[in-house]
Amino acid sequence: MISPYDWQQSVAQRAQYIESRLRGGSPIVALAIEAGTLLYTYRRHVRKVYEVYDCLMFSAMGQQADVENLRLTAVDFAHQEGFSRSEADVTIGRVVGFSLSNPMKRAFGDITSAPFVVLALFAEMNHLPAEDLFFTLHYDGDFEMSKNFAAAAGTKQAEERMEAILKEKYSSSMTLEAAQELADEVWRIGADVDNNGEPDPALIENARPECGFLDRSSDNQRKFRLLK
Amino acid sequence: MAHQSFAELVGFPTCLGTPPKGTPDTHGTTVLALKYDGGILNLGDRRATAANYVMYDRADKVLPLDDYTLVAISGSFARSIEIVRYLKHAFKYYARTQLQELSLEGKLQEVTRALAGNLPMTMEGIGVFVPLISARDNNTGRFGIYFYDAMGARFESGEFGAAGSGSERIRGVFDYITRTKGLFETRTLEDVLVDGLIMLDIAAQLDAATGGFDRILPSACILNADGVHDVAADMLVSAARQAVRSDQLEHGGGAPAGGGVGK
Repeated sequence: MISPYDWQQSVAQRAQYIESRLRGGSPIVALAIEAGTLLYTYRRHVRKVYEVYDCLMFSAMGQQADVENLRLTAVDFAHQEGFSRSEADVTIGRVVGFSLSNPMKRAFGDITSAPFVVLALFAEMNHLPAEDLFFTLHYDGDFEMSKNFAAAAGTKQAEERMEAILKEKYSSSMTLEAAQELADEVWRIGADVDNNGEPDPALIENARPECGFLDRSSDNQRKFRLLK
Repeated sequence: MAHQSFAELVGFPTCLGTPPKGTPDTHGTTVLALKYDGGILNLGDRRATAANYVMYDRADKVLPLDDYTLVAISGSFARSIEIVRYLKHAFKYYARTQLQELSLEGKLQEVTRALAGNLPMTMEGIGVFVPLISARDNNTGRFGIYFYDAMGARFESGEFGAAGSGSERIRGVFDYITRTKGLFETRTLEDVLVDGLIMLDIAAQLDAATGGFDRILPSACILNADGVHDVAADMLVSAARQAVRSDQLEHGGGAPAGGGVGK
């Protein structure tokens, strides 16, 4: 028999386990500028930034299989919605809130199944940078929305340091190049997990930047492209 | 195991069910695909009809499926739009789940599958969909025009393609033009555009289900190495003026043509 105490203990242990796994994850920076919307991180062998739908993309840290699971669930949901209703009805809030958050919450609370070891950042491009939306989705299914910019990192402290720089230097009118430079600077701060002045070598060695970009002015059917 | 297809994901084409017999359906068209020296030009008249009733004069029958593929639709408007929506989503669903672009062969095959799935509607005579596909092969950079029969058989057309009720009347004219003026793919866009509009105008005269462009300009789209674009409005207007003028207006429109008594 599992007592409520056992359940609480095991959930706390799960949270601790997941957080220790995420601690070594490559941070993600999101920016909304006039040219478009960016998601910036560093990668090694596998791709890190993915297109979800016409104006949606995401990047995540954590276990690759869990990221892949999340990605396919989001892509399936978005395309089903887009086809059976319309492209305009596919919104990031519904993808995250209705298709992803629930199964993650369920997996986290069910101590007989494996939880999602993942921290994801979703971006939605709209007509203006001020209308762009970012959703940070946590391993327990909780999510929060932000505008203009967003950051996700292995620890809460690193995330706060990243947000402080973003608050100071972000402007929606910056050029794409300047935005990438800022994103790189912020990424390095987030990758400095122990706050000793330089990125954790485990994160930066043999890694290269990857920037997913949704082009606001593009007439193409496909607005998404990888910049690096 | 292969990842599920988009058709499985959304249960296409059976999800719509079969409409009751005798449902009024919107039809009739002329759409053209012509090569030019930089890619492929697509033209479509804008009339949508149901029997002898003109439903709509601003229908868009030239639609992008993705940045390398254009479709010009003819047949049942409702069915066509739905299949185009399906194909668009099937292509991008594949690209996003598999993290690579669907090959040209894969795209053309998907059109075949959609047509085969639509066969019951075609047999009832109420849901015919006849697509004309213009595509760029990303591996080779080559442009191709493809047409289909109702069962899904695919054919590649060398220089031009035409579909819809009005296309039968003008098919021979294409051959005449290539024989007298040279291959379409060696000529400029401006040049091919005027010939295309003349043919569309002729089709509109000979086929009641094809709209002319005395009031509303036809749809005109190009597929080139950069992707899919609308033909610039001023270029289209000036080509349309040229096409109509060289055809009839300033040469005594209304006088009987050959075989008439004259004055």
